[in-house]
Amino acid sequence: MEEQLEPNEMIIHLGPQHPMQPGPFRLNLRLKGETVVDADIELGFIHKGIEKILENKTYLQGITIVDRICYLVALVNEECFVGCTEKLLGIEPPERSQYIRVILDELTRIQSHLLGMGEFGEFIGFVSMFMYTIREREEVLSLIDMITGARVTHSYLKFGGVRDDLPDGFKEKAIPVLNNLKKSVGDFEEMFHTDRIFRERTVGVGVLTADVAKNLGVSGPVLRATGVPFDIRKNEPYLIYKDLDFRVCTETAGDCFARVQVRLNEIRESIYILEQCLDQLPSGPLFPENTYYGRRTPVMRVPAGEVFHRVEDPRGEMGMYMISDGSDKPYRVKIRGPHYPTLQALPPLIIGTTVADVAAISGSMDGCTSEADR
Amino acid sequence: MAIVIPESIIPLIPWIRGIIGLLLIGIIFIGAMGAVWLERKLSADIQTRMGPCRVGKYGLLQLVADAIKLFTKEDLKPLNADSLLFNNANIFMLGSVFLMLVALPVGAVFINGVEYPLAVTQMDISVLYIEAVSALSIFGIFMVAYGSNNKYSLLGAFRNFARMVGYEVPLGITVISVAAMTGSLNIVDISSAQGLHWNIFLQPIGCFVFFVSLMADMGRLPFDQNESEEELIAGWITEYCGMRFGLGFFAEYIHMILGSFLVALLFLGGWNLPGFIANNSVLGLIAPTGFLLIKATFVLLVIIGLRWAVPRFRIDQVVDLSWKKLLPLALLNLVWAVGLGLYLGA
Repeated sequence: MEEQLEPNEMIIHLGPQHPMQPGPFRLNLRLKGETVVDADIELGFIHKGIEKILENKTYLQGITIVDRICYLVALVNEECFVGCTEKLLGIEPPERSQYIRVILDELTRIQSHLLGMGEFGEFIGFVSMFMYTIREREEVLSLIDMITGARVTHSYLKFGGVRDDLPDGFKEKAIPVLNNLKKSVGDFEEMFHTDRIFRERTVGVGVLTADVAKNLGVSGPVLRATGVPFDIRKNEPYLIYKDLDFRVCTETAGDCFARVQVRLNEIRESIYILEQCLDQLPSGPLFPENTYYGRRTPVMRVPAGEVFHRVEDPRGEMGMYMISDGSDKPYRVKIRGPHYPTLQALPPLIIGTTVADVAAISGSMDGCTSEADR
Repeated sequence: MAIVIPESIIPLIPWIRGIIGLLLIGIIFIGAMGAVWLERKLSADIQTRMGPCRVGKYGLLQLVADAIKLFTKEDLKPLNADSLLFNNANIFMLGSVFLMLVALPVGAVFINGVEYPLAVTQMDISVLYIEAVSALSIFGIFMVAYGSNNKYSLLGAFRNFARMVGYEVPLGITVISVAAMTGSLNIVDISSAQGLHWNIFLQPIGCFVFFVSLMADMGRLPFDQNESEEELIAGWITEYCGMRFGLGFFAEYIHMILGSFLVALLFLGGWNLPGFIANNSVLGLIAPTGFLLIKATFVLLVIIGLRWAVPRFRIDQVVDLSWKKLLPLALLNLVWAVGLGLYLGA
């Protein structure tokens, strides 16, 4: 980039430490005045080597490691890892466990979307938005805390089930929170739709087309905002999603406004799913009966084989490809996170826009660099 | 309880006025600290937080604690910074704000029915003077940006220039409309003339344009593109720390307070309240200044509240807004004001 620099241009680096970033990555911008002429992205500042670590840990220990891929969506990562292992083991958790897992997945989705929206508000200069959403998120985190005993990294899922049952009075605690959240989401939507400055900053900014998104492998709300109804929960249902009633939220515009709108609608759908789950929650054991899988699964050997399992992360498609050689540790785990492809869509989108839009577009992607780097 | 004021005090009034004015200017400094506290509390209220509440009652001493922190911080300077500009820019900015204080009346005292404004000086072109020196702070910002040798700062300063060029024009035109209608460039005359008809009712468009332009002039959100911490970290002030940052911060708040006074004086009737006639009682002496303070505080609250309630414009949208929307409105207002002035004058 340095070589192409013309006399009236300059390069600025957004990052690796910069207020607009969800985690350290570097965005090199070639600027002509305020306009971005060229952009490229450098990843790797927060590489943790999780795939390699997983090879050296037993399957049970791996659960705590995948929590750390992205702290926001720890439970979904666990779901993916445990789902892979269960496929290899050939077991399926009983219905009650599946319901509890779905409840946790959806709560995770809600809190992740809330944080993402709040950060986005902050990136376009609306600092109060962050406070509004973080307050709602706190309630949701408390619900997760009730079930798992932790707010961020849970280690809650076990092979064939979940560690603990739902606590007493969970439904009674959850219903008011969800109702409250429904109202808040309505408020946020009204705010986004009526605020002229917000609309000016987001409508038509950072338009991603469906073709480009598909070619880059973008998934999740960013893809659905371009009009592609792709959602793993519908297209390749896991757990009990096939029995639940929900719709895939799409928008057609593909701009920042559409992405935020998709997230708002998804929070509503998640609340609807949660209500169904809480109503239909069957009783029964947490682990498959007559097996030795349970709360205290011992160190176990997993049959040799290769398996791919994917789940719908709040940010898109989270997949893991696991190879087992029959020992107590996975031979290889390849993680396909949703945010790495989404980040690749960032440079083409920001070329031609201004510096202020870089923050808006990057924020509307709702990224997690930690997960892109792994 | 009327106070008998001897006639012999009249020749001393310019001196007394000057002393009181200076005292009030000192109070404005405390007011700036109050504004910081107010902003923190109000923003906390808007965001459903508590705000400062540990240091002193209701967190009132928080700013003292902050000042101690700023004073004791290490004075860091970037290696390639231009010392002359870097060291003096914020002092220059604070100085340019002080210059505004010189001509700005912060109240008035009525003695035997005669009005004596509380200002350090009385000049016939005080409105023009205030406008002129308030635009000086832009040079301070550019000194900071150029001196600190930082690309973010430079971008912030560019934005500041683009914005300033756009907004000084409607700001000036609305001030001219007010002056044309009143027939004077003296801010005291403009304020006194609004005994019954406040300019906000006579020129609502002018008031709106003036307020928006003033917000842009002061660089408050939604017009703080020069700082915009999300993309430019802190814009022009990125490289500053400790008390150097504190000076700029202080200048910004004093500018804000003086801006509120300006709105109150030019459009909200100054120290007048319809139906109130000052006599020689204690109330009569204090009330006009009190009215002005209340009005200015109200404007200040609006300015502070707006910051936390709206997102930020992009710089091209800001410039668009100024040239395509505010400038035509300001010109329309000028025609209206001149017509109204002729009609009222006749």
